Amino acid sequence: MEFPAALFPSYFGAGPPREEGGPAPAAGWGEYGQVLEAGPGRRQAEMTFVPCRGGTGERWKPADAAAVPLLPPNASCWVPSVTPQDILYRSVLRRKLQAGKRGAALDFTKQLSHFFVDHPEDAFGSLGRLLHQNFHLGNSKLKVSVHPAVTMPSPTPALAAAIPSLCLLSSLQRQARDSTIRMTALREKIDRLEARRGCPQQHLVPCLRWFSHLSRDWLFEVPLGLLADCVHEDLLLQWASLLFDDSPTGGALAWLPPKDTGARTGRLVYPGGQAMNHLCILPCRVALGREGRGHVALPLAGTPDFQDVVLEELPCAQGSPAQFELNGRIRQVAAARVDGEDFVGVRSDYHCGVWRVSGRTGATPTPLQVIRTSVPASCLTVSPHLPGELAVCTQSGAVYLWNIETGLQRLRHDPQTMFFRDHSPWRWSDFTAHPRVLSCADRTGLQCLDTRAPERCHFDLFKVGEGASCQQGERVVLPMYLGRAYSSQHLITTQFSVYVLDERLPLVPVLKWAHMMKAPPLFAHLTPGGPGRTHKVLLGTSHNQELLLLQYQGEKRGSRGGSRSACQLAGSPQKLHSIASCLQHLPTQLPHRHRLLQQRLGAPAAGLAAALQEDGPRESLLVFQLSEAGDVFCQRLTHEAAAHPQPSLAPQEAECPQNRCASPQPSPAAALQYCRWMKALSKGWGKLPQRTRPPTFSQKRLFTRKELEEPLAPSPLHGQARQRLCQAMRDGGRIQRWDPTPPALPQPLELARGDPDPLSTRLTASWGWDWERWWEERTSFNMAQRKQALRERRRRQKRARGRRSLSASFTSSITYQSELSELSDAVPPPLSPGPPREVSPPTGSPPPSPAPEEALLSSQSLRSCGIPKERRKMLRDYLAVWTDGPPEAPEPPDSQASQLCIPSSQSQLSSASQPRRKRPRMGF
Amino acid sequence: SSHEYKLNFKKSKEMCLSYIQDAMLQKQWKKAAEFLTFYMESLEKDFAREYLSPSEVIWRIGTEILCHHSHSSMKEFNSFTEQMKSLGVKRYLKVCLEHTFHLLCDGLIDEAYQNLSLSESWRSGDQTVIQDKEMKLIKAYRGLLDYYNWSKQKNILLEHGQDGFEDLSVEQEMHSCFRKAAVNLKEIIKIPGVWDLFVKCYVDLLEFYGDHNEARQVLNEYAYNSKFPTNPNAHVYLYQFLKRHGESKKSLVSALKILHDVVPSHELMIDFNIMLQKSKKRKRRRLGLEVIFAVLDYAGWKENVKAWSCLARQLKQIVISEKHLDWIKQEWNSRKDWWPAFHFSRYSAKRNWQENECLSHEKALVAGILLGKDCKYFKYVSHQGCKAQVKRFRILKKFVNKHNPVYLRVSG
Repeated sequence: MEFPAALFPSYFGAGPPREEGGPAPAAGWGEYGQVLEAGPGRRQAEMTFVPCRGGTGERWKPADAAAVPLLPPNASCWVPSVTPQDILYRSVLRRKLQAGKRGAALDFTKQLSHFFVDHPEDAFGSLGRLLHQNFHLGNSKLKVSVHPAVTMPSPTPALAAAIPSLCLLSSLQRQARDSTIRMTALREKIDRLEARRGCPQQHLVPCLRWFSHLSRDWLFEVPLGLLADCVHEDLLLQWASLLFDDSPTGGALAWLPPKDTGARTGRLVYPGGQAMNHLCILPCRVALGREGRGHVALPLAGTPDFQDVVLEELPCAQGSPAQFELNGRIRQVAAARVDGEDFVGVRSDYHCGVWRVSGRTGATPTPLQVIRTSVPASCLTVSPHLPGELAVCTQSGAVYLWNIETGLQRLRHDPQTMFFRDHSPWRWSDFTAHPRVLSCADRTGLQCLDTRAPERCHFDLFKVGEGASCQQGERVVLPMYLGRAYSSQHLITTQFSVYVLDERLPLVPVLKWAHMMKAPPLFAHLTPGGPGRTHKVLLGTSHNQELLLLQYQGEKRGSRGGSRSACQLAGSPQKLHSIASCLQHLPTQLPHRHRLLQQRLGAPAAGLAAALQEDGPRESLLVFQLSEAGDVFCQRLTHEAAAHPQPSLAPQEAECPQNRCASPQPSPAAALQYCRWMKALSKGWGKLPQRTRPPTFSQKRLFTRKELEEPLAPSPLHGQARQRLCQAMRDGGRIQRWDPTPPALPQPLELARGDPDPLSTRLTASWGWDWERWWEERTSFNMAQRKQALRERRRRQKRARGRRSLSASFTSSITYQSELSELSDAVPPPLSPGPPREVSPPTGSPPPSPAPEEALLSSQSLRSCGIPKERRKMLRDYLAVWTDGPPEAPEPPDSQASQLCIPSSQSQLSSASQPRRKRPRMGF
Repeated sequence: SSHEYKLNFKKSKEMCLSYIQDAMLQKQWKKAAEFLTFYMESLEKDFAREYLSPSEVIWRIGTEILCHHSHSSMKEFNSFTEQMKSLGVKRYLKVCLEHTFHLLCDGLIDEAYQNLSLSESWRSGDQTVIQDKEMKLIKAYRGLLDYYNWSKQKNILLEHGQDGFEDLSVEQEMHSCFRKAAVNLKEIIKIPGVWDLFVKCYVDLLEFYGDHNEARQVLNEYAYNSKFPTNPNAHVYLYQFLKRHGESKKSLVSALKILHDVVPSHELMIDFNIMLQKSKKRKRRRLGLEVIFAVLDYAGWKENVKAWSCLARQLKQIVISEKHLDWIKQEWNSRKDWWPAFHFSRYSAKRNWQENECLSHEKALVAGILLGKDCKYFKYVSHQGCKAQVKRFRILKKFVNKHNPVYLRVSG
């Protein structure tokens, strides 16, 4: 309330931060920052000075060797979160790390293939059904692969014998053998490729290349380019969230202290359940046990199987711990006490809800209201001043004041950040000393705005810049209103520092300290101290579960009275146990169990809460930590009262326990808790459904060797090709193109037909890369021509009523294709001298391709490979497209993996997808 | 290869640093000190291109350890710092400044002064912006210490003056201290920043020598220059200066009015309100009401008896005179939707009654005037007060009942 009579000196600049930034490992040590004269001094002989940082703080000692589980393990099979190994390209990752370079290569191919495997229906649904006859997935010889539903109603042997159409069946069988691709060989080759990944001399199996080229454009339900874009975009998002995930900002754990200071039953609010979508409000009896060793007595402590915790679904009338099932993963739980009642706000991505928990013990929490947002909400804070008032922010840049009675009031909507441009959509809002003024933050700073006139009345509280002597690249991570300690102070954490700001002195931090944490602190908790005591601030990070205890004060100093002294950091910061640190105290496990346990305990933290427990002269601070797996751990810090005023003595004492416990052992009570927790966890593991592998097919080969064998009598083309190859090898040159004078394929065909229908011209044009001109020509038809064409078409339609109509559907164009190919087979020799020539492109230089490829293109060899007649043309056409395309286009998806995908720029993605996009698609 | 060696070296260096860090964060200062001796190795092969060079890391960590280690003394600290000063040119001034701070906090004022004057004479080619700032701070702190010296001499002289004994040498020294202090202090307070300590001292010097105009100018500049942060203390200093010199009420009001605009929740606002309430001018009394309402908007004043009694007094005056009820109405308009929940809930009535009877009386009066006799807060408190047979609560009830029509006019 009272403003300090004098503040620590500091410069005040404007503009962007000047200091070059970076994570500095020791930046927070050894600095007093500034000094200020303490007390009246002037009239006394001796002056005393106090430092801004480095004063003496209170001593809090951890009571146990590690964090102790507070609740039984979250009884769900926890899906481990994505790790960098999952989405990074392995070999490149290794190389990059060794080189110490920045940037990461995302394994796009793997993810795309995962998509195909995980969602085959979405990827290939209808075409898979259509083509299903032509693929054989078994390992046996080809038998009847005719779709039973289409041809015959599943003949039993007896019935088949009786039916005279058995001969028909056998003919069908033969036909099927010709037109079916065996997937086994293909799979085998893919596996072999996988094994050779990372090999510099990676050469691709040609048949795979063909296959991928053949099918790449039409096999997918979703156009491949679009799908790839989406997968890549998601991959970038995943990677970004792996680097820094701001969705759990604020933390999903809250402690509702007991109503009376004497009482010991407070409540813990935490998410649970399989998807962390159950809001649990658990009364927690906190007591000091014997020997001063604290333990937390829980309602579940008596039952080894921990069944008591999971209580009835939805508001239960009689049970004291209440559980609510929500509609999404709980990201944040915020709580504040107003007029003796606790208001608990819960944020998930698209829903925010508020509960009221009255102070009476055993009272049921009442759900009050839920709002739904169309954009994920990024912040929910509860007003400490007025009951039923909350602040909500969404990622679209909107800030709302949410009143239970009057509803939502939008205060601001600005997708842009406030002070300079930053890409992050994260927004935050909190309350201030004035109940009608909200603070409103993004990554660039903090502004306060009056809800009564949000447009006009606002002022800047914090700006990333020279004013607060920030570093370059510094960004706001979590603001918090410190109202419970000082009504006008705010804590702001960035990835490098913590700041304390006073609303009455905007833009100049009254305290700044480099926290040296390895990850940005996403969670903070304030435990206010009484008069003459320090305020404890806990900072927590998500990714590596770091916990740091800071103390600060700004109280009247001693008996001198007068006004308050400026804000000071008291004592050195203290690191608290993380959840993962208890691993060594758990009972020894089998190696694979140990690994699972390690994974579970090492899950990123998701929340932080603390409770101050006063028991006569003894004080202790209980720190709760929630992991993403839903486990709640707790540790106790005991306050060592300043019985020894001599500061020189104190450190010595501090050394002692450390020397004593070089490897500190947990207390018996803690060991028991560990055992119980472990037992419950392993029970849960036992209950897990046996991991059923997805159904797999044994596939060894796609084409039998026999099918791929060369024809007995090699065609003259073979000889020619071989000759040329030998020649090229002798000369040490390369083969520019297989055919010196390739005639253009489609045009002559059309000319020969004389009466081109629009679809064929269009298809032809599209294959001849001339589609745009065709379109222009077509659109610039004059009226007469159009009428003429219409008349012509009508006449033709009348004539060919019996013939099938050409719809734009994909399947019918395939059939039309086969018709075409039959026609083209029949065209006279001068126009089409030989199948290989037919596919040779009119222009451009095809990449040097191995000879068998070319050979395969001949009708004969295609036939010998068992490719049905009607599909040969298609195959050829596709290969034509391939040989015609720009050199990078024909690369099969595999080789795309070598492209670097740096999350920040999508340029590579677009360049990779452009050639595909440009090419017009059949069947649109 | 050398590259690999560098990599390995870097890795082990980082590991060592993280061990030190861990030990320090767990307050194991001895362990940290042992590790630090190994880390010294990193000075020899300093390949680092990092933001913090190893020499600075060693300085920071070493200082911190020496501050907490059980067996450290000021002597050791001094020698360590001297070594550190010679280690890095870039950070020389910073280390000097920090050394001074440590000396000052340990009460070694003379050593600190020596240290400051020594580092002031340091020169090293072109100074960076940061070094320039540090140099100015060093000078300013020296000015501050000069000022303390001056005030010491002044006290001696004043004491001796009473005895009728004059010492010329002391007087001369005092004046030379003044000159040294004034030059340096004047320099730093020109630069935008928070210089409460320096401004106060400089103004004190000027006032002693009777240079009121200069003092006023300095304070005006400090409070109203837009390049400086909006520091409430600047306004407070100006106000106190004006008050000391018996300035007219008008200028005092205008100084406080600006403070009210900047920080409506400042504790001087109570004085301001009292001053304005006494005023004969209507406009000022109107402003007084505004000020006290604004003060009570803030959570920090929620339970301040003084503020509530100021408001209660002024409201009572207005209600009795039945003039200017529109003032109350105007102020109340923007607050009627949230003050009842914020200040006058049944819960706070209970609590206020239990904890502070006086506060509940004042608040109940305000609630009765603003919300009428049926307001929860008033009802609860007056009921409890009458039950406890406290006379002033009976008077309060009578007053509110009598003036209940006012509520209708205010809320209507």
